Amino acid sequence: MREALRAAMTEEMERDENVFLMGEEVAEYNGAYKVSEGMLKKFGPKRVWDTPISEAGFAGLGVGAATMGLRPIIEFMSWSFTWVCIDQIINNAANVRYMSGGQYKVPIVFRGGNGIAHQLGATHSHRMESVYARIPGLITVAPSTPYDAKGLLKSAIRCDDPVIFLESEKMLNDTAEVPEEEYLLPLGVANVERKGEDITIVSYGRPLQRVVREAVRHLVEDHGIDVELIDLRTLRPLDTNTILESIKKTNRCVIVDEDWGYCGMGAGILYKIQKAAFDYLDAPIDYVHSDEIPVPFNHYLEEAMMPSVDRIVSAVKEACYR
Amino acid sequence: MAVANEIEKRPSVKKSQASDGSVERDRLRMMMLIRRFEEKTFQEYTKPGQKIGGFCHLYSGQEAIAVGTAALFDKNRDALINGYRCHGHSLALGMTPRAAIAEMYGKVTGCSKGKGGSMHLFDASVGNHGGHGIVGGQLPLGLGFAFAQSYKKTGGVTFCFMGDGAINQGTFNEALNLASLYKSPVIYVVENNGVAMGTQIERHSAEKDLSKRACGFNMPHRNVDGNDVDTVIKEFGEAVERGRAGEGPTFLSANTYRFRGHSMSDAMKYRSKEEAEKAKLRDPISIYSTRLRDANFITDEQLESLQESVSNEVTEAFAQADADPHPPLEDRFNDALAETYPYQPE
Repeated sequence: MREALRAAMTEEMERDENVFLMGEEVAEYNGAYKVSEGMLKKFGPKRVWDTPISEAGFAGLGVGAATMGLRPIIEFMSWSFTWVCIDQIINNAANVRYMSGGQYKVPIVFRGGNGIAHQLGATHSHRMESVYARIPGLITVAPSTPYDAKGLLKSAIRCDDPVIFLESEKMLNDTAEVPEEEYLLPLGVANVERKGEDITIVSYGRPLQRVVREAVRHLVEDHGIDVELIDLRTLRPLDTNTILESIKKTNRCVIVDEDWGYCGMGAGILYKIQKAAFDYLDAPIDYVHSDEIPVPFNHYLEEAMMPSVDRIVSAVKEACYR
Repeated sequence: MAVANEIEKRPSVKKSQASDGSVERDRLRMMMLIRRFEEKTFQEYTKPGQKIGGFCHLYSGQEAIAVGTAALFDKNRDALINGYRCHGHSLALGMTPRAAIAEMYGKVTGCSKGKGGSMHLFDASVGNHGGHGIVGGQLPLGLGFAFAQSYKKTGGVTFCFMGDGAINQGTFNEALNLASLYKSPVIYVVENNGVAMGTQIERHSAEKDLSKRACGFNMPHRNVDGNDVDTVIKEFGEAVERGRAGEGPTFLSANTYRFRGHSMSDAMKYRSKEEAEKAKLRDPISIYSTRLRDANFITDEQLESLQESVSNEVTEAFAQADADPHPPLEDRFNDALAETYPYQPE
């Protein structure tokens, strides 16, 4: 995954000199999580910029530079840190185009690790997708594989709108085949990862990688439930069409994420689909999410708060009346 | 007062050297236009059947700063960004009074098609990056414009304005430090009118001399008489030269006074009558018109006719904007995004 992200940035920086990378420790330290390793050496200090610990300063710098025609990639060490610069993202990146009546565009990518990344405690474990995916003017992307990460990040860099790109520290060591030749994945299109007839599971990013795939394997192999698995890839704009087409076939749906349930990402997805799906449903749409508590430090408590294979399996079985 | 000679000594305003006074008269006229526009806005806002919605912050009293800046501003490569008190700078950079008041009426002919309002006057064609409603939120953006100017080596500079209230926001610390660290060609200007909404400097800043706030950023800084347009041109001009020469940012406190309240609901009970009377003696328009008259650049008759001409221009603009249509309802969905989705790059 780490190499896929780096390859996407490197290819786009080679292609367009207006693309630059900026963030805490991205240059001389080679990246807090080594995603940008070697990029300073390759591109030099005019393209790869270390910043002081000033999220509002460099996030806003990126937005300003984007309105002037550059294509900044702003790396956050953690999306949890963006609470201190959220004004720059929501009021400036997302609103400047609209408030100016379309006079400016903001081609910027904000990227970094999102969500619960094992024993980081309540302040460093925020799942920011429901915060950003609800903002008109922003595009929100959450890849679940190295292949997707590369293709989606390249598209995000070329996109003329501000993109929130949600990675996970716990996915950086994932390995998979990623083509050398160039490919681009569309933004706003979900991927039907597994075709099935019995139930639709909707998920994305880290929860998909951590537990959903394993739960699907159990459901198929041990319980004989033919799951259709949808990886959203993009959370805004949401590909409701792909979800609804699937539900029309399976008549059942479970959404899984690691957000809090109330006003969580899955709750937003539910709002977008329930009315159109209602006539096709044989059971209520269920939503498997984290417990509604601050994220605990203790390993066992943290594990217990998040969706598990068991929780997903039992939610799916219940939706299938099994 | 030999204004013309003083101006001739200033390298940054060479353009006006050969002036027969026409450049100076234009500056005076723009200050008068801004004042007239703002006073007419005040009248419109407070009339029954209020046509201007939302918040509205008037610039009366601070015109020398906007007009002095515009005298230095290169529309082909410079950028300007503002807080929410943005009418004056927008007019000074050439926005028509009609586009400005139409925006405040929410009309489709407004500079931002009725989607921004009084606090968000944008004009991309001249590098006007708008007014911003969140105090201090514009400071990192101004840094970003300057970063881009430096990255692309355009020789352009960025003017980033703020009120004295903004210096207490965290973005002030972050943006000024980064600007100095990266040597970005940004001129940070506090339009110091002495009061952050209703809280006087004595009650909001531990350091009364606001220019000193830049000391920790290793950045040149000074106080400027913000009511004297010639001084503004000279002092800001030096900062512009520094920026264009790649010498980095400057921090200026342009000290001024706003004649109106913070916003339209402000009865200004925090000010004494004596203070307001004293401030009127330092009215930037009076200072400049007296100077031009003393220099034989303008006669009393010309002054009167200028007054009449700006008054007519403003009246006409307000009437046109009033007659202009509101945006079609379906236009509310436009301008949020630049791409259409699904988005597949070529």
